[in-house]
Amino acid sequence: MEQLFYYLKVSWFSVKRAPLPYMLTVLILSLGLGVFFSNATFYYRINSDPLPAKSDKLFFPMMLLVPYQCSNCKPPSVLSYSNVAKLNASDIPSAKAAMYSAGGYLRLNAEQAPTPVTVRITQRDFFSMFDVPLLHGSIWPDNQPRDELLLSKATAEKLFGRTDVTGQQVLLDDRLFTIIGVLDQWQMLPKLYDAFNRNYLNPTEDIYLPLESGYDYNYLSNTNSSTFEDADYRKLATDGRTKAIHQLQYWVQLDTPAQQQAYRQFMANLVADEKAAGRHPSAEANQLVMMRDIVSYFDGESGDIKAFAIVTLLFLLVCVFNASHLSLNRYLSNQYEFSLRRALGANRSQLQVQLLVDMGLMSTFTLAGAAIIAYGGIKLMNYLWPSNSLFASWDLQLMLALAALTLLCSYLVTLYPSLRASFGSLNKQLKE
Amino acid sequence: MITLTNLGKVFRTELIETHALRDVNLQVNEGEFAALTGPSGSGKSTLLNILGTLESFDSGDYQLDGKSVKGLSDAALSKLRNEKIGFIFQSFNLIKDFSIYDNIELPLRYRGLKAAERKQRIERALELVGLHARRDYLPGQLSGGQQQRVAIARAIAGEPRILLADEPTGNLDSLMARQVMELLEQINRQGCTILMVTHDPDQARRAGRNIQIIDGQLHDSTMYDPLAQHTA
Repeated sequence: MEQLFYYLKVSWFSVKRAPLPYMLTVLILSLGLGVFFSNATFYYRINSDPLPAKSDKLFFPMMLLVPYQCSNCKPPSVLSYSNVAKLNASDIPSAKAAMYSAGGYLRLNAEQAPTPVTVRITQRDFFSMFDVPLLHGSIWPDNQPRDELLLSKATAEKLFGRTDVTGQQVLLDDRLFTIIGVLDQWQMLPKLYDAFNRNYLNPTEDIYLPLESGYDYNYLSNTNSSTFEDADYRKLATDGRTKAIHQLQYWVQLDTPAQQQAYRQFMANLVADEKAAGRHPSAEANQLVMMRDIVSYFDGESGDIKAFAIVTLLFLLVCVFNASHLSLNRYLSNQYEFSLRRALGANRSQLQVQLLVDMGLMSTFTLAGAAIIAYGGIKLMNYLWPSNSLFASWDLQLMLALAALTLLCSYLVTLYPSLRASFGSLNKQLKE
Repeated sequence: MITLTNLGKVFRTELIETHALRDVNLQVNEGEFAALTGPSGSGKSTLLNILGTLESFDSGDYQLDGKSVKGLSDAALSKLRNEKIGFIFQSFNLIKDFSIYDNIELPLRYRGLKAAERKQRIERALELVGLHARRDYLPGQLSGGQQQRVAIARAIAGEPRILLADEPTGNLDSLMARQVMELLEQINRQGCTILMVTHDPDQARRAGRNIQIIDGQLHDSTMYDPLAQHTA
């Protein structure tokens, strides 16, 4: 330990000898790491797995169940009500839920000004499939239509100023609903159950409404709906249930490879039956996409963030190169001292340990600088792209990654200069 | 103690080869005080660097205490330098932002000695060079002669068997040079072998032996009569 403090003292004296070049080296490296890390935070969050224990068990089935012939077509990303009913007939999945999102206005009573809210219209298995935590109350006992809804914790607090509000009534688009449950703090990031059209970047919804009620009250999807025949969108309760109005996302939980295989077979059989009935004129184009692959399936990976990630990585490399150059100058100006130490009996290993401590000291300063710059970078990005702000938080893993990357970059920056210093000629410097 | 056999050193560039040392044969016994003299560029410092293992040689052999240093690893050479050899440089080579104490401590640190033993040795060395009261000074606060005495203290703190001094008085005025020479003589009397590069004939005479190098070859090796030294 005493030797470690001695090495730190030697490094500190070396810093004091030429503080400006040292600060410049740290600043350049901090800048590269900070810019890279602020972008890497978004990249890491957006590409993280929100349900690592389940993401290989949740599947998004898609079929070309449309009333016209289409060659080489991908199946639509949303299904019609009747398609879902057919898929729902299978009891192979451990859980299954159809869903879509809509918008609405919420208030406590007719005197209050309405607040715009996002609504997820879904079925009861949604909550177990996506590990949605419940703070108060319960979820619907079945998938029947009912004037009951669940609120997010934030919505309950905003509306009532508290969370234990089960049994209370609210007006959603001026229809009276009873609150049967309040969710605990929950933010599925990224929100992969709604991956199409980059909706996975949006926050989870404020209100959760039964699917059948959503259809009864003609809530149309606010993100993705299409029709493949003459149908009236405004009549979801009737046309929506019988005609080819596609707006439902459908998720199934298939826990084992055997279940997955059986479900694929079920989908193939369904196509065969539909073909026999004349309702599937196209060739089979079934898809069963795992949740962890859903973003790439929809080509939803953010091109901006990916491109920016490459740019910031290149910027980091430039910074490392420049910092290494500055570091080399600093070490060469200290070459005399290295030579002296070697002449007095320090071997190369001892010098390398000294240089590692020097690197550790520089890493500490750089880490602090990089964290500040990264924090500033994230704030700036939140300001420029507010929709991405959900993905700006750091966790321990991310902080450790920054520390490890800082150490690696500091090592790269000092590697060549330290080798030059250790293997430099002894006699020349000492004679001068 | 030191035996050089047909030792040679060549400096090579793309265009020319310069033979810095050719077929040098030398025997230095324990306790000797030898001066290495010769014109500039004759190979004195190169020889001293080779003796201090700061520089390699191309041919021949160098034995220290009966063991060849040829082919020794970096770690072994560093250990040898640390334990057996002390260096005194013309330009002192003190680390300017380290205190006198810290400068003298340098070789002892790399030997892995405990703090208490390091302190004991440093204080003994400081006593010998008469700078105990200035142990916390920085080198820049001392005169040239005092700085060279610090360098001598650093060289002897590790109790080496050989002191290699490269023009130790080259940067000093005559009074300070005399003080440094007296100190070296005192150290020599305590049994330490000293090899000193010098241009000064008076200082060469004060050493017991003069080894003259001309054009990389050992030209003459004169033993002086100690009595004659005093009368001179």
